Amino acid sequence: MSVRVRDLTVSLSGRVVTEAVTTGIDRGGWLGIIGPNGAGKSTILRAIVGTIPYAGVVEIEGRGDIHHDRRESARMIAYVPQRPELPPMMRVCDYVMLGRTPHLSLFATEGPRDLQVVEEVLCRLELAHLRDRTLSEISGGEAQRAVLGRALVQEASVLVLDEPTTGLDLGHQEQVLELTDELRHERGLTVICAMHDLTVAGQFCDRLTLIDRGRVVVEGAVAEVLTPDRIRKHFGAAVEVVDDGVGGIIVVPRRRPRQR
Amino acid sequence: MYRLQIAPRLRSLAVVVALSGSLGIALGVTGAVSAATKAGHFPVTVRLANGVVTIPARPTRIISLSPTATEDLFAVGAGHQVIAVDNDSTYPRSAPVSALSGYTPNIEAIAHYNPDLVVVSGNEGGVIAALAKLHIPVAEEPATTTISGAYGEIASLGALTGNSAAAQRLISTMRARIAAVVAAVPVATRHLSYYVELDQTYYSATSATFLGQIFSLFGLHNIADAASGAATGYPQLSSEYIVAKNPRLIFLADTLCCGQSVTTVRSRAGWSTMSAVAKGNVIGLNDDIASRWGPRIVVLAQQIERALLHLSQQG
Amino acid sequence: MWVRSARERGVPSSCQPWQLLVGVLFLVGVMTLAALIGPADLPLGGVISTLLEKLPLLHVHSTLSVTDQQVVWQIRMPRIVLGALVGAMLAVAGATYQGVFQNPLADPYLLGVAAGAGLGATLAIELFPRTTSWPVSPVPLAAFAGGLVAAIVTFLLGRSGGRYRATATLVLAGVAVAAFFTAVQTFAQQRNTQNLQQTYAWILGGLTTASWQQVEIVAPYVVISAGVLVAYRRVLDVMSVGDEEADSLGIRAHRVRLVTVIFATLGTAAAVSMSGLIGFVGIIIPHTLRLVVGSSYRRILPLSVLFGAAFLVLADLLARTIAAPAEIPLGVITAFFGAPFFLMVLRRAGGSR
Repeated sequence: MSVRVRDLTVSLSGRVVTEAVTTGIDRGGWLGIIGPNGAGKSTILRAIVGTIPYAGVVEIEGRGDIHHDRRESARMIAYVPQRPELPPMMRVCDYVMLGRTPHLSLFATEGPRDLQVVEEVLCRLELAHLRDRTLSEISGGEAQRAVLGRALVQEASVLVLDEPTTGLDLGHQEQVLELTDELRHERGLTVICAMHDLTVAGQFCDRLTLIDRGRVVVEGAVAEVLTPDRIRKHFGAAVEVVDDGVGGIIVVPRRRPRQR
Repeated sequence: MYRLQIAPRLRSLAVVVALSGSLGIALGVTGAVSAATKAGHFPVTVRLANGVVTIPARPTRIISLSPTATEDLFAVGAGHQVIAVDNDSTYPRSAPVSALSGYTPNIEAIAHYNPDLVVVSGNEGGVIAALAKLHIPVAEEPATTTISGAYGEIASLGALTGNSAAAQRLISTMRARIAAVVAAVPVATRHLSYYVELDQTYYSATSATFLGQIFSLFGLHNIADAASGAATGYPQLSSEYIVAKNPRLIFLADTLCCGQSVTTVRSRAGWSTMSAVAKGNVIGLNDDIASRWGPRIVVLAQQIERALLHLSQQG
Repeated sequence: MWVRSARERGVPSSCQPWQLLVGVLFLVGVMTLAALIGPADLPLGGVISTLLEKLPLLHVHSTLSVTDQQVVWQIRMPRIVLGALVGAMLAVAGATYQGVFQNPLADPYLLGVAAGAGLGATLAIELFPRTTSWPVSPVPLAAFAGGLVAAIVTFLLGRSGGRYRATATLVLAGVAVAAFFTAVQTFAQQRNTQNLQQTYAWILGGLTTASWQQVEIVAPYVVISAGVLVAYRRVLDVMSVGDEEADSLGIRAHRVRLVTVIFATLGTAAAVSMSGLIGFVGIIIPHTLRLVVGSSYRRILPLSVLFGAAFLVLADLLARTIAAPAEIPLGVITAFFGAPFFLMVLRRAGGSR
């Protein structure tokens, strides 16, 4: 499903955090939200998910009223926060099962179809053997897969990820992102993802939105957005931008020549 | 939890223990009037619970922070020497009730009266030492567990206030009246069982308590005695135990505090079939009389006598 | 551990029928035991025949005297049933508070409910000391009102702290409200020392004066409240990922918290208005269950109802028999036997990991 954001303004505790943000992504695309720390990336994602109040329009497949019904909204948009709350005593299968919540009425319990969906996702994410472990008993990479699993069983067509590789080592970062990309293709998911690693953003995303101080600086294809000038201006970092030759972009930090 | 047991008749003590953690234990026989002192001659020296107390001259500005002491003072004729009594001293009506508290005594408020004698029933809030610092004489007349202890306190208050002769006359009268009342009761009613209630959650008093001793004068059997090992003399009984024991007499010492009466007792679950309830042998007592160890124990004895006479007429 | 048997591997943590059966059998067993034992020392056959006589369709006649029948049916049984209702309510409310506030120490005392109920009871005792002729004693009604008022004040104060820190603010507001209500209560007590005895008897808590009338007053509140809370068992599991993630899963976390807290408080206020303040049940039962059957509220809530009821009936059985014919305050028993038991479970669970 396509996602369109127009004139999104969010004020938290009386302070304007993002102002007049306009961006969007077509069905099946991967939109990266980049920007320096504190730019407002997470805030934009939370507004899209609908967990904070905002002014402006968030449209999913042309519908602008999806946040009026929380359950319906949760059936369309799945959310993986930057630091998910992981109840330590909860078993992996119970945790993943929480993702079925939007498909159940308030006092209902899961039926065979829900169990089947969870089973498939546990197998797909190679979590099946961990299902009876508690969240405190599994590794960080496994926990991140469990969170992704919870989002997948929501069967939402839009997946919103807030820096999903935070705290993971290089191998697990790659694993989680590749998995997300595979799932995107398998299931036709639309992915909106806040990212801090520009190389990763340059390799996985179709489109990028650069945010600074709550405003959109530039929005467009990866190569248009990631230029050394912009990165120096908005991240305060000297970099070289290299084409990887297979459609992606590599951003390499480069130390400034010493002034003698 | 605040405390394990409540001693309802000593509710003041227990509550203050619970609130302030200060424990005033009443020990020893009080009122040993020194032999060298003659009535009406000052200075007078008396051995009391708080030690030997010397009063230089006949006190005329007495404060009583104990309802029992207030009754004693007025009964021995020292009423006109009393300038203020605590807010729980409800008898006699002529007593000059003030805002002073016997549980949380305020030294400054007491001193403001410029008293020449303060009577207390315990050392709540360190009142005894605090008054001693101000050179105000203090007489401690604690809760007693024996009838002779009650007479001793009347005697000592008589001596302290220059009313020894009146105190001795009062004691003689009380002894005589109680003896007459006990003698008037038919032998057949002795050894009957009774239950005395201190509140509607079935706190009771055993024969070891002051209240229980008054009943013991008549030879009555207290159903709370079976629980005497469990509590301080004021156990809380089970409703089903009381009903199963089926005492011949029920005395309610919770008519004022807790609004209990023959009617409320009859309406209690399972109580209507008890013989005391069915035959009208539920007697409402005045809580104040039943919880004090002053001159009105005679009234209490007379109430018990009437109840026993009523019961003996039922055959 | 016996709890995670092979046959439930991989199955989500819904409450297993056999777990409920164990709970029901335990509760029925404890209640039967409590009916048979008491300071009145009645013959077992007599007690059983008295109880069977009350059952419809059975033509059994009691072999006890009229008075002893009264002891069984008018004194022992209402006490057992009231104890079960109060225990069930305190345990399920404790579990609910722990779930929606994500605070392991949350229990009916946290929101000032107990302090409010205490103030209500004290004021009623002070203002209407001689109202036994009233059809219903004002003390439980005032305790009920006080508990509700305290919870509402806590909620209003806690809500003003902003949306995302609401839980922590609410807990702090509860502490402040409890302190304030306790202060007012102590002041009211001090002003009228004549009625201290009554107030303290109520605060200490106990079921000594239980009657069928009290059971009838409390039962609807407990049944409805506990029923609603148990219905929320799955939603409480969702709440354990925090408000924002619960929102993103389609649950309105604030509304769920409001509704469950209202019902937990309503039931608790009704229960403590009859039983007085009985501590520890709301902490011990849910935590013990957590160690035995896992952290899912799908199990903890229904089992709290059963084991909370059984625990308090058992505690009250001890309260009226250890020092018989004297009573021991029920709150003392719940703390004295509850705490070591809890520690024992904690140690065993720790050792088996």
